[in-house]
Amino acid sequence: MRKLAFTTALAGAAFLSLAGMAAAETVRVTVAEYSSKTGPYFEEAAKAFEEANPDADIQIEVVPWDVLLQKLTTDISGGANADLSIIGTRWLIDFVEQGIAAPLDEYMSDEFKDRFFPVFLEPSVMDGKTYGLPIAASARAMYYNKDLFEQAGIEEVPDTWEELAAAAEKISALGDDIAGFGLQGKEIETDVYFYYAFWAHGGELVEDDGTSGLDSEAAYKAAETYKSLIDSGATQPGVTSYNREDVQNLFKQGKVGMMITAPFLSNQIKEEAPDLEYGVAAIPAGPDGDRGTYGVTDSIIMFENSENKELAWKFLDMLFTTEWRAKFTEGEGFLPVNPEVAKQPAFADNADLKAFTDLLPDARFAPVIPGWEEIAAKTSDAVQKIYLGDAEPKAALDAAAEEINGILGN
Amino acid sequence: MIRSPLTNPYVLILPGFLLAAFIILWPLYQLGLISLNEVNRFGQLRGFNDAENYIAVFTDPDFLGALWRTAIWTGGIVIGTLLVSVPVAMILNDDFYGRSIARVIIMLPWAVSLTMTAIVWRWALSGESGMLNSGLQNLGLIDQNIQWLARASTAFPVQIMIGILVTIPFTTTIFLGGLSSIPDDLYEAARLEGASRWQTFREITLPLMKPFLNISIVLNMIYVFNSFPIIWATTQGGPANSTDILVTYLYKLGFRFGKLGEASALSVMMFALLLAFTILYVSLAMRRDSK
Repeated sequence: MRKLAFTTALAGAAFLSLAGMAAAETVRVTVAEYSSKTGPYFEEAAKAFEEANPDADIQIEVVPWDVLLQKLTTDISGGANADLSIIGTRWLIDFVEQGIAAPLDEYMSDEFKDRFFPVFLEPSVMDGKTYGLPIAASARAMYYNKDLFEQAGIEEVPDTWEELAAAAEKISALGDDIAGFGLQGKEIETDVYFYYAFWAHGGELVEDDGTSGLDSEAAYKAAETYKSLIDSGATQPGVTSYNREDVQNLFKQGKVGMMITAPFLSNQIKEEAPDLEYGVAAIPAGPDGDRGTYGVTDSIIMFENSENKELAWKFLDMLFTTEWRAKFTEGEGFLPVNPEVAKQPAFADNADLKAFTDLLPDARFAPVIPGWEEIAAKTSDAVQKIYLGDAEPKAALDAAAEEINGILGN
Repeated sequence: MIRSPLTNPYVLILPGFLLAAFIILWPLYQLGLISLNEVNRFGQLRGFNDAENYIAVFTDPDFLGALWRTAIWTGGIVIGTLLVSVPVAMILNDDFYGRSIARVIIMLPWAVSLTMTAIVWRWALSGESGMLNSGLQNLGLIDQNIQWLARASTAFPVQIMIGILVTIPFTTTIFLGGLSSIPDDLYEAARLEGASRWQTFREITLPLMKPFLNISIVLNMIYVFNSFPIIWATTQGGPANSTDILVTYLYKLGFRFGKLGEASALSVMMFALLLAFTILYVSLAMRRDSK
């Protein structure tokens, strides 16, 4: 009798544990590794979520940025993708067109939408539906080295490209290994570095008639501006061997007077070169006062083939609470995308960040068109040829515009 | 003696063949299939499209440039390695004090991953803070920093040189094996006859080393043709695609631009090209041998 009771209890326990296993839902999340803090942050969030939802199992996969798109492509083609993933918002259109990203509107309450600055939600809205949430936002501004400015006797921070050229030449004259303007000429965002001057001269990447704007006066002027900076020795030598990190390193070493880059350089300077006296200012304007900074958001998306959408959404909902957002945004050095986060002293009292947020009205995002990566690569190729002196600005840009028009389908 | 059908050589290699088929032929079939289809960004097939992928690759001007550079790249590294490795192997084959240490030093680069080596070289080649520039300046060979990776005319030769350096250990190992298989009495007899060092090298060493030279050329050709890390880590094929070889161009097509159909077509072409070259070389080498 006793034995029977024992067996029953055992069977019952086994049944219960089986039921428990069936109820444990797994949500896999692919996250891009922005810094060494990204992985631990998401692991912590997953743990907190699992404590609040004992049936949930959140699996975090941390992937370096460089291979993220490659991993997603392979995963999706093999049907092995996660439930949630961080992606560059500029890739989103491909995901939406192929029916891979799920619309999120049915889950989003008005209260949820109010947690964001509208400008950051906009890039992931397509055909009236929201397909992604801005997990990271960034813009670009000009960093300048105050010591070098003082040594060269420059009192005003340049506000136009002409003033910048004059200042850069003065700073370059300070010494052989000092450069006035750090110009990026290699790898990711080489095209973007060109757009700063392009936008200032009134250019548009895609014009109203749907063709490339590279064969315009603005583009020629911008290219000539950079080329004359190179020729007059106002930039570091051999610009096509410097990627963004290389130029940032020169800036941290105090060898570059001015450069344009993202907010995260402030965090790096704080840790690696705390004695550097620097300021952050607006990107210089063109002759007609035009100005443009590059705005970038990364989105977190939900996959259409996810089997646990409800739970995945619950996890997203937690990630976008003020507490978790503040922790992430501060740790990574991004711009706050949530008004509540922006009000916190860590952000509101940060002069560097303020320079970036002031620029947001001028922010332009990468155009939402399929094949953007290829267009960016063609543009980078063209500006590299110009920087090297292998092609005249007009010839190189016209040829690039023609190729881009082919990609755009004109 | 009657052979059991179980010891028939074809039966014996069957398991190995099946395994190879599973990991080589199946992906190859998939690759061929994708290359003939219209494919979306995420590798989902959208129907056959009359070899349009192949035409698109052929008509891309970047493809021809990359093809030509692949020929220079492969030829440069394979021949360069050969020219350096033969004397190195002959020196290491001689008996001298500290030979084992010298052998270890030659082999060491082999132990480091190719990507790591390439990244270290990227730092060494940096224009402002690179070891190479400061080394050359200290020697008084240059008085201004050279921006090695800024343009193809300096970057590509340097990349080939790195390629040669990392291929030497493997090639030297093969040659050392070959040299130790040459009996010493041949050299002794030649010396008695009054042959010079050059004569012994030409008449004894080279002919007897031939199978080893051939195998190293074939293997290196295959490795180098498909070698991705050196170029990717130093220039990513830039500036303006001027250091792209077929593999780096393939990577850009597939994973940057999401043109998986064209990338598959290019892969199939690269496979065919390499196969054709290898068969051609092997058959030429064999014919000379049997003569």
